[in-house]
Amino acid sequence: MAERYDAVIIGGGHNGLVSAAYLARAGMKTLVLEQRHVLGGAAVTEELFPGFRFSVFSYVVSLLRPVIIRELQLPRHGLDILPLDGTFTPLHEGAGPKPRPGARAADVTGSGDYLWRVNDHGRTIRELRRWSATDADAYEEYGQLMVEMARFIKPILGITPPDLTSLDPRPLLPLGGLLRSFQQLPERQQAVFVQLMTMSAADFLDQWFETDPLKATMSASGIIGTYLGVRSPGTAYVLLHHYMGEIDGAFRAWGIPKGGTGGISNAIGSAARALGAEIRTEAPVERILVHDGRAVGVALAGSGEEIRADVVLSSVDARRTFISLIEPGHLDAEFTEEIRRFKFRGSSGKVNMAVDRLPDFSCLPGAGEHLRGAISFSPSIDGMEQAYDDAKYGRFSAKPYIDMIIPTLVDPTMAPPGKHVISCFVQYAPYKLASELGTWDDQREAFGDAVVNRISEFAPGFKDSILFRNVQTPLDIERTTGLTEGNIFQGELTLEQLFFNRPTPGYARFKTPIRNLWMCGSSTHPGGGIMGANGRIAALEVLRSRGRRPAAA
Amino acid sequence: MGAGVGASRPWDAIVVGGGHNGLVTAAYLARAGRRTLVLERRDHVGGAAETADLGGVRVPRLADTVGRIRPSVVKDLGLRAHGLKLVAPGVRVFAPQPDGRAITLWSDTARTAAGLRDWSGDDAAAYPEFDRLVRSLGKLLAELAARTPPDIRAPGIADALTGLKLGRTFRGLGKHDARTILRVLPMAVADFVAEAFETDALRAAIAWRGVRHSFLGPWSAGSTAILLGDSAGNDGGAAGQTVFAIGGPGALSDALAAAARAAGAEIRCSAEVVSIAARDNRVTGVVLAGGEEIGAAMVVSGLDPKRTLVGLADPVTVGPTMRWRAANYRTPGVVVKVNLVVDRLPRFTAAGDDDQLVRGRILAAPGIDAIERAFDAAKYGRASDTPVVEATIPSLVDPALVADAPDGTHVVSISAQYAPATLRGGAWDEDGRADAFADRAVGVLDDLAPGLTASIVAREVITPLDLERDYGLTGGHPLHGEQSLDQFFLWRPFFGSARYRLPIDGLYLCGSGAHPGGGITGQPGQNAAREILADLKRRR
Repeated sequence: MAERYDAVIIGGGHNGLVSAAYLARAGMKTLVLEQRHVLGGAAVTEELFPGFRFSVFSYVVSLLRPVIIRELQLPRHGLDILPLDGTFTPLHEGAGPKPRPGARAADVTGSGDYLWRVNDHGRTIRELRRWSATDADAYEEYGQLMVEMARFIKPILGITPPDLTSLDPRPLLPLGGLLRSFQQLPERQQAVFVQLMTMSAADFLDQWFETDPLKATMSASGIIGTYLGVRSPGTAYVLLHHYMGEIDGAFRAWGIPKGGTGGISNAIGSAARALGAEIRTEAPVERILVHDGRAVGVALAGSGEEIRADVVLSSVDARRTFISLIEPGHLDAEFTEEIRRFKFRGSSGKVNMAVDRLPDFSCLPGAGEHLRGAISFSPSIDGMEQAYDDAKYGRFSAKPYIDMIIPTLVDPTMAPPGKHVISCFVQYAPYKLASELGTWDDQREAFGDAVVNRISEFAPGFKDSILFRNVQTPLDIERTTGLTEGNIFQGELTLEQLFFNRPTPGYARFKTPIRNLWMCGSSTHPGGGIMGANGRIAALEVLRSRGRRPAAA
Repeated sequence: MGAGVGASRPWDAIVVGGGHNGLVTAAYLARAGRRTLVLERRDHVGGAAETADLGGVRVPRLADTVGRIRPSVVKDLGLRAHGLKLVAPGVRVFAPQPDGRAITLWSDTARTAAGLRDWSGDDAAAYPEFDRLVRSLGKLLAELAARTPPDIRAPGIADALTGLKLGRTFRGLGKHDARTILRVLPMAVADFVAEAFETDALRAAIAWRGVRHSFLGPWSAGSTAILLGDSAGNDGGAAGQTVFAIGGPGALSDALAAAARAAGAEIRCSAEVVSIAARDNRVTGVVLAGGEEIGAAMVVSGLDPKRTLVGLADPVTVGPTMRWRAANYRTPGVVVKVNLVVDRLPRFTAAGDDDQLVRGRILAAPGIDAIERAFDAAKYGRASDTPVVEATIPSLVDPALVADAPDGTHVVSISAQYAPATLRGGAWDEDGRADAFADRAVGVLDDLAPGLTASIVAREVITPLDLERDYGLTGGHPLHGEQSLDQFFLWRPFFGSARYRLPIDGLYLCGSGAHPGGGITGQPGQNAAREILADLKRRR
């Protein structure tokens, strides 16, 4: 019989590791079990091609809570985030503010215009003024407003959601605080907050801006990881969700971890170990052991080894936790039904490439600064929406939205000298394909081709620079990381799946219907992204339930 | 206060617009002894609830059913005594399918379930519970609809009481339904119906009410709230209401006008208000198109909020921020109305010879994706190639409509969606666009009822552009603005103005642009009247 733990955590993704660190810090004997040979879940760095290292899935960071960085002293454990500067949107010919004489709108590979926003506010305003003076003015006002909105909503990321249906008033208390701080906002901000919670990203942005590529690029943050289009109500919230990013206290800053996103996972893992947690890799959990309605440990796949623990925390998604890892009969039918209804619907894919030279955009040739930030293939709102229309009927987008990053420009250690790695987040790639398309195994390369072709429209010759291509479809994401239906957020960030409804109304407080079993992954409030908030709040709830204080650092 | 201009004694209240909500408010104010004047731009009252002549018969020009009118309005105003007569056929929805079968939703739930057995045993079994759920959740929404949204900035005792009452109703739902409503309100209606049913045709027949009149598809978030709202405060349930007024919807407007007049209100038609006069941020009256000024202590607008604040109110008084917010109120109309006079009853293949089946709403929406694809076009400023079509044949339940016409004559009232008000290719009144779309809508029905086209003796087509021009509905939106989550309850029309009071002292909103929104319910009018009377009392 193996030794007994105070806490065992299923899954060594960033949230599982954060939970482990906090529990260990409070003196609990804690074990993390990760199925793969690498830590990190979807935040991993792997050498997919000799000499080329990739952030295979998740690739940028901004949402990681500063309180976690501080409390776990992550920089001491190797966390180093390199800032990404700017968003560059290449456009087709004729798409600029003033079409050039003789431009042919139909010639999509000719030299077009671009829209380039950078962290230098003054430069961005000058760039926007080139497109529209009113948009340049509105941009300042909008930016200020969104910072205020993010400031208001940020505390919500750190609280346990209330249970509105509970007869016990205590779980309602956080709501009172929220209401009070809402009441203190000026009316205009209250109104904007409501709009953010209810509107589509496109409608929301329409109130301020007229420049199509600007709206399209900004609205892209509203659809990431969702099976929704920029015109779907509810996407404005995701816009804000991505606006809350902060690095070193600066809102709206994105960066890439040195050494790839695996660098974050390794730093958190190292912090957890230093605090006394034990981490085992290649230890896939097959089953959560339940006895008398109480979780008592886990059993591993393969060896069948049973590990006993006082509490079990699951950082894997809700469906895997409750449908795959728990034997039928321990949960009532209604709860099981609610979990089955929780929507995943992975909608994005990832294409990782090694290239022998940098892409050369016809609208802004050469290897300039514009390649050092995000490169957004989002020329128009209609184009974004059409990409979604494809997905609605079970097809990957013929002309997908792509968020491209060239990490080697910021972190040259990722590839041999002179060579580059390119990371492309691609949407839409619906998990469930229309039946006539077959499976993702049949469509993987066709999807990769669509992405390469889309890039080549704006950067001719890109195709010839590719040394290696690794296509991650939603099915691949599910197979490798275990994320159900390849949803990168462990469940869609739609309105009905947020806050007190995440993952189900009544169980949004990290507790589950099984005693001593807790949820600590992105299926819980406040959702996905490399935030770590879920893991931290869950650990604090566990500690509170055991009458322990989270130990001082 | 409110020194009148051009009147010996100023009016207590002027109601701008004689649509059904304007009339409801006027009737309640007059009943309370307030001197009330209704000003209607057109030559008759009723707005979108009117019965008009077409080819010698009476047709419901825009709205065709009136089953959402609140029972409390009917009772309070004695509408039956003023001539209102309602008829509800046993069939609510008949949804013929391309393969010749049909989904039929009856007012009798058991009968509906029995019919569904031909499609799916599971669906037949699930239907009664789904109907119960819709009614249960609709009850909470009805309670919400009848209340003035609370004042979030300075909550008073009344707000606390409202909160308590709502809280009690909420808890009364029971834990299961309480959790369900929190979860489903923001949901896409396609998901909501898919949780209960497997048959696509049935899903579509129910989900349709979540997107009707809306710039939304069944996959759009928040469409479930619209479906539930449609069943709130009436006997709709899962099938939705199908209730006709004898004499057409104009008969309801006539009864409302009669009730208002009987209570002492004055109604002037052909009197177009062109501006709302204000001094020192307080309304003083209105100015008519001819230049006439009429003074009043209060002005109550039955028009949509955008038209009220951007079109009629003084921009300086409204102020730039409020004007910006009002201008961004979303009013994208998507419906074309087609009225037909036909020389024989349409024969739907799926109905055989059974006239009973076509007495309710006839819906051509063969599946969720079919509705969604029809919507897709609207997103890019195009009208649907294959529109979703809902029709009624009111002359079946009210033969008097066609009394003066040859035997066999019937009226077919068609709403066709999606037809966005703003077309990218050009306006609705150019290049035969309206007729081309109407042809497609009629074609959809003709496929299901062959011979329909050949039977047409008169036809009229009313586009969103006509709704804007003739009825003053901004963006051609029959509900005065989208019913979506961003224009709901506490923020309908805007956050901070949901309590029927607009940001100019003495200016109120009583139309469908206010909580709880559009459709012929009379609820915004009733709620507004309650608030106005409370303010009048306070001021004494």
